[in-house]
Amino acid sequence: MDQILLQSPLLTPTPIWLIALPLLVAFLSPLWGRARWPLLFGVHLGLFALALWLLAGVQDGPLIETLVIAPPLGIHLHADAVSLLLVALLTFAVALVAAFLWQGARAPHWQSRQAFVLIMLLSAGCNGMLLTGDLFNLYVFIEIAGVSAYLLSALRRDAAALEAGLKYLIIGAVSAVFILFATVLTYITTGTLNLAAIGMAFADIPAAMQILIGLLLLVGLGIKAELFPFNVWVPEIYRGSDPEASALFSGVVVKAFLFVLFNLVFLILADPAVVGRWLMILGGVTMVIAELTALRQRDLRRMLAYSSLGQVGLITLALGFAETTVVAGGLFHLVNHTLAKLLLFMVAALMLSRASSGHLDALTGIARRLPLAAGLFVLGSLSMLGLPPLAGFMSKLWIMAGFAEAGVFWPIALILLGALLEAAYFFRWIALFYRPVPAPRLASDPVGLPTASSAVTWPLLVLAVLLIGFGLAPVLLEPALNLAAEVLLDRSGAIEAVMGVRP
Amino acid sequence: MRLFLRVLSLMVVVTPAVTWFAWDGALVWPLFGGATLSFDVTPLASFFLLLLAMGAPLAALPMLRKEEPDWQLALFALLVLGMQGLLLAQDLVGFFIGWEIMTWSSWLLIVRSPRTDAGTAASYILFNLSAAFLLLAGLLGVYSLTGSFAIQALVDLTLAQGLVLVLLFGAAFLIKIGTLPLHLWIPRSYDQAPEPVTVVLSALVSKMGVYGLLLMLILFPEMPGRWFGDWLNGPLSGYGLAWIGVITSIVATFKAIAQDDMKRLLAYSSIGQLGYVTTAIGVGGALGISGALYHALVHTLVSLLLFISFAGIIAQTGQRRFNDLGELIYRMPISFFGVLIGIIALAGMPPLPGFASKFLIFVALIEAQWILLFAAVILSSAAAFLYCYKLIYAPFLGQANSPEARVAREAPWPYLIPQIILMGMLVGLGMFPGMGTALADPVLAALGLAPLDGPSLGTLATPYGGYDGVTLMLVFGIAFALVTALFYMLRGQLRRAGSRQDLSFAGEVPTPDQPLHYGAGMGRELRRIPLIGWILARSSSGFFSGLAERVERLAEHSSRLYPSQPWRWVQSFVVVFAVLLTWGLVRGGGL
Amino acid sequence: MRALIDVPLMLLVTYTMGFFMYGFYRQFMARIQNRRGPPIWQNLYDNLKFFSKSETLSHGPMFFLGPMIMMAGAVTTVLFIPMLKDTAWLQGFSASGNLILVMFLMVVGPLGNALAVGASGNPFGVMGVTRGLTRLMGLEVPFFLGLALIMVQYETVSISAIMAAQPTLAEWTLVTNPLIFLVVLLPFIASLNASPFDVVGAPVEVYSGPRVEFGGRLLGILMTQNMMLSMAKYVLVVALFMGGASNLLELFVKVFVLFMLTASISAVFPRLRTEQAVDFFWRIPLGLGVVAVILTLWI
Repeated sequence: MDQILLQSPLLTPTPIWLIALPLLVAFLSPLWGRARWPLLFGVHLGLFALALWLLAGVQDGPLIETLVIAPPLGIHLHADAVSLLLVALLTFAVALVAAFLWQGARAPHWQSRQAFVLIMLLSAGCNGMLLTGDLFNLYVFIEIAGVSAYLLSALRRDAAALEAGLKYLIIGAVSAVFILFATVLTYITTGTLNLAAIGMAFADIPAAMQILIGLLLLVGLGIKAELFPFNVWVPEIYRGSDPEASALFSGVVVKAFLFVLFNLVFLILADPAVVGRWLMILGGVTMVIAELTALRQRDLRRMLAYSSLGQVGLITLALGFAETTVVAGGLFHLVNHTLAKLLLFMVAALMLSRASSGHLDALTGIARRLPLAAGLFVLGSLSMLGLPPLAGFMSKLWIMAGFAEAGVFWPIALILLGALLEAAYFFRWIALFYRPVPAPRLASDPVGLPTASSAVTWPLLVLAVLLIGFGLAPVLLEPALNLAAEVLLDRSGAIEAVMGVRP
Repeated sequence: MRLFLRVLSLMVVVTPAVTWFAWDGALVWPLFGGATLSFDVTPLASFFLLLLAMGAPLAALPMLRKEEPDWQLALFALLVLGMQGLLLAQDLVGFFIGWEIMTWSSWLLIVRSPRTDAGTAASYILFNLSAAFLLLAGLLGVYSLTGSFAIQALVDLTLAQGLVLVLLFGAAFLIKIGTLPLHLWIPRSYDQAPEPVTVVLSALVSKMGVYGLLLMLILFPEMPGRWFGDWLNGPLSGYGLAWIGVITSIVATFKAIAQDDMKRLLAYSSIGQLGYVTTAIGVGGALGISGALYHALVHTLVSLLLFISFAGIIAQTGQRRFNDLGELIYRMPISFFGVLIGIIALAGMPPLPGFASKFLIFVALIEAQWILLFAAVILSSAAAFLYCYKLIYAPFLGQANSPEARVAREAPWPYLIPQIILMGMLVGLGMFPGMGTALADPVLAALGLAPLDGPSLGTLATPYGGYDGVTLMLVFGIAFALVTALFYMLRGQLRRAGSRQDLSFAGEVPTPDQPLHYGAGMGRELRRIPLIGWILARSSSGFFSGLAERVERLAEHSSRLYPSQPWRWVQSFVVVFAVLLTWGLVRGGGL
Repeated sequence: MRALIDVPLMLLVTYTMGFFMYGFYRQFMARIQNRRGPPIWQNLYDNLKFFSKSETLSHGPMFFLGPMIMMAGAVTTVLFIPMLKDTAWLQGFSASGNLILVMFLMVVGPLGNALAVGASGNPFGVMGVTRGLTRLMGLEVPFFLGLALIMVQYETVSISAIMAAQPTLAEWTLVTNPLIFLVVLLPFIASLNASPFDVVGAPVEVYSGPRVEFGGRLLGILMTQNMMLSMAKYVLVVALFMGGASNLLELFVKVFVLFMLTASISAVFPRLRTEQAVDFFWRIPLGLGVVAVILTLWI
């Protein structure tokens, strides 16, 4: 990595900073002392600004940053409208989690240096996954993000957290095996690791090999992108981890993997229609099964995990359709889901700090003790369900209007069914939060727990404002989303930018 | 902060009135993809906006009491905004946004009540969201056909397209109105919601379903013509809708008679009254639509009045069952008059306006020559007398049946002021029944129907004849005054009975501890009538709870798909991978 | 101006005719049962006697106001039914009303009664009221079905117009559409609280029902309004089915004929229980009504 740094112009704002800066700051962590959390927040806010600045520069075409030798032989970063949009989203999300941890996390394991380093590495890995232009570096970044995620999930170091971390490690290793195998096979058959070059050469390799590589990638990435049936591990991990970590997994890591999956599909395949349809079915099944299963969950974190799976299914359903409007809506929903899930997981963190456990019974009537948190939970759930006037409604409407315009109605039916199931459990939880509790229960309110300062709520309020704002004025994001959708679907443009020839 | 919130909420609550008086020009708000939200006042919306403008401030008064929590008024303000939004919307997305804001804010109002149980909360939100999602599916269908969300006439639909869209929209609005068998969420939620909230649910929120149903007349102008049946003298779709409405009102009326809880009874009565409105919309034509609008207006006033009166009783006595009250006429006289005026209007007795709206519906049915429907409407209308009597007898007359009823005081002013205003409005509207049709006439014109155009506000005129409200009121009033005066001119004196137990009681003298209140008995013997016994023994709740149970069981099955042991995860991945690979290779071809 | 003469005259006609008819009814029943029976004007004497009672027991303001509402309701009903046709006299305020309004005005009386009985606090009275309302629910369905058929036939809801549409015997509704008369006849008898549908005030079963607490002048009022309301109903049915009347004599004869018909039916059949009565109305008259609808509208 240091070599990469030396070769790139250090002082100009280029995409490499999005990866290098977190790595650098993480490696220099002993220097920061008490200033760790403000730094984490500040760095990511800076990266967010940088991503937005870069985003403004890629309106006409992608920014290719050569690191070693010019592509297709060397290593390069491929920053276009869609990857930078996601980088912006993810850095913003990490910044908000950092702010939340800075203000709110009093538990010792969040005060440690490991937590700081791991979040930095996670962020670097995810940004790398989004920006890299070749398959091998993709694998490397997946590993960086993966390892930091396993450790984050085990950070609390009690039995539940260690179990979750170990399980996460196992499943991550399995996923890595699949991806690595696919990478090797691709290199053997096409002789290149550059994504654009693979995109040009992929059609020429034997059909059976195509299917094998495709399936290996599907399983490998599907595990990390939480698609059914490869998502069976998710509830266990989310339940064992702290909600703050789960917020990062659901809001940041999964989104990066979703992007990788669809970027590969749209870049490599000349005609993504067939694969797209299968991914749509996969997404639909993921959504319905997850929403259905969530109905019976009695633990807040598990419930949020299943809800997360459902939303990922919905996004997959939309992106798989490979049509600009629907994909733009899908990307919008991806943004909204990140915002809403961050909000919900952070509220869950607040609630868990006050309740004995995340179980339904322990949280009954919590609204009386945490009125603002409960209110924000309502807001987040409304957006998650797609109820106006919140952002989730606009993105769902956008997706469904796209489907309706194309005359395809089964996804609409599935989405509405999913939303109804989702409503059934989200509203049950809300009803529980507002249930009046008998007096003796209130009297035994645990004393001495860290009280949430009002500062801890401001990241939550920022999220709430964004959810309302995007719900009222989706036009704010419309140009960026439309451009991102076009770029994501524009295979020949992406290949041409790297290879210099149209496929 | 508290004061600021209250003042702000109150300002929002009066916005419908401001909009109604002072709206000029449309408002446009950009959405994505070139679509826009636009807001304007159409004649139809204006009528319902008037209901909102009258109802919202009156319903807000009881919420201003110190005993009521702050969030109630704030959420109510949100609810009013939602309803106003859906009325003003000129496109289906705006309508849906308002509809949903209304749905979830009203749910939050209900769910924060200490009496609401989990089942009620779930049924309220699931029924209403089902309605909303059907609506959403319908509006997406419209979008796929026209490429626009605007509320406009859909022409040249094929039969299948028309049928699907009509069913989607129709089912959505019928759930909101609460027609059978989709009414289950209403009685329990009206019963368990906080008292001031029930007022809003019954008087205002339910009317939005009526508005939606009328909107369908604009959306599907060809529907009646398409399914015209000569032998029916009218459209088949309308005939079906009318029967749905009337069966709803009959069953709801019988259920209402059998209730022993005041708010539950009123909830069923509310379902029944909206059944008439549905019937009237089904009949269609100038008389039918005008009857539907008129009845919606009257029901808004009546349910405001009755629910507020009963809210006052519950607040003062803490009792909500008929058996536990009695004799309040001496302790709560203003509330008594409120309920009296309310039930006279509810029962549709002249000279109050409940009769005017029913008269229009009757005449519409006669014009359409749907005589069997007419008889069915009469059945529920006559049966309604029974529960109306129960409403006035059990709390106010008879013998006090609980300690609270013996010491209750008159309800506080926040309950009485709206009651007095509403009584005045009802009597005024009864005297000038033409006012209602005058309000409905612009809507008729907008729907392309001939307005009724009464000669004066005092007259309700139809092509089949009408009546003069002023004369009627004067004749009755003078007769009443003269009879009373003459009675006093007769020789002899009036002696007040010695005690409440000084009764002609089968040769015995009852003691104060003897239960002499007949509230529970009322309606019990009805079960012996075969038809009513049959209806009361049935319920669709079994179907829906069965459905919920099925889904839960399905969820249990699906949760087995998520094991907790890592080796089973890996095993499943490998198996799925192998199966897919085999299948892909056998199928042949690349990606 | 005409109203000043019309109103007292209409009230007087219904009042005297009512007491005459019911006096005659008691004689008629006595002869059937082989008794002597009271004099024809006995009911009128009783009524006058009640009015001159020196003491009346009251159970509170609503108990007192109830009979007043009943009386006012009866007076209003009488005044909204045109007694004669082809003349400007004895029309009352019928130009301002219609058939449906009159039918609903007839319920105002029972409402006042129910309020007063409820206020008295006597459970037997309320039991009677409940039975009365239950019976009302039964009888109104076929009754209104018949009236609706008439309104459809003449395409108006105005009683005067319906009367004017039957100038000769051949055009009487009774002749043109006898089925409707059969549909309406039994509910009509029940609406008069006559046997066999008189369970509401049955002395043994509910201890004389709604009237249990009334005495003295209030009972006098109740009797008066009952007579007037009954006659109003007879006049209405005469107008709807028998072409109305051009003068008072014709009116009297037609009402008398109709009265004899209903009285004969009342004399023959035994009393029905409430639920039996309701079930009966929903089977026989309503079934006939459905047949009538099918015959007149669909065939």
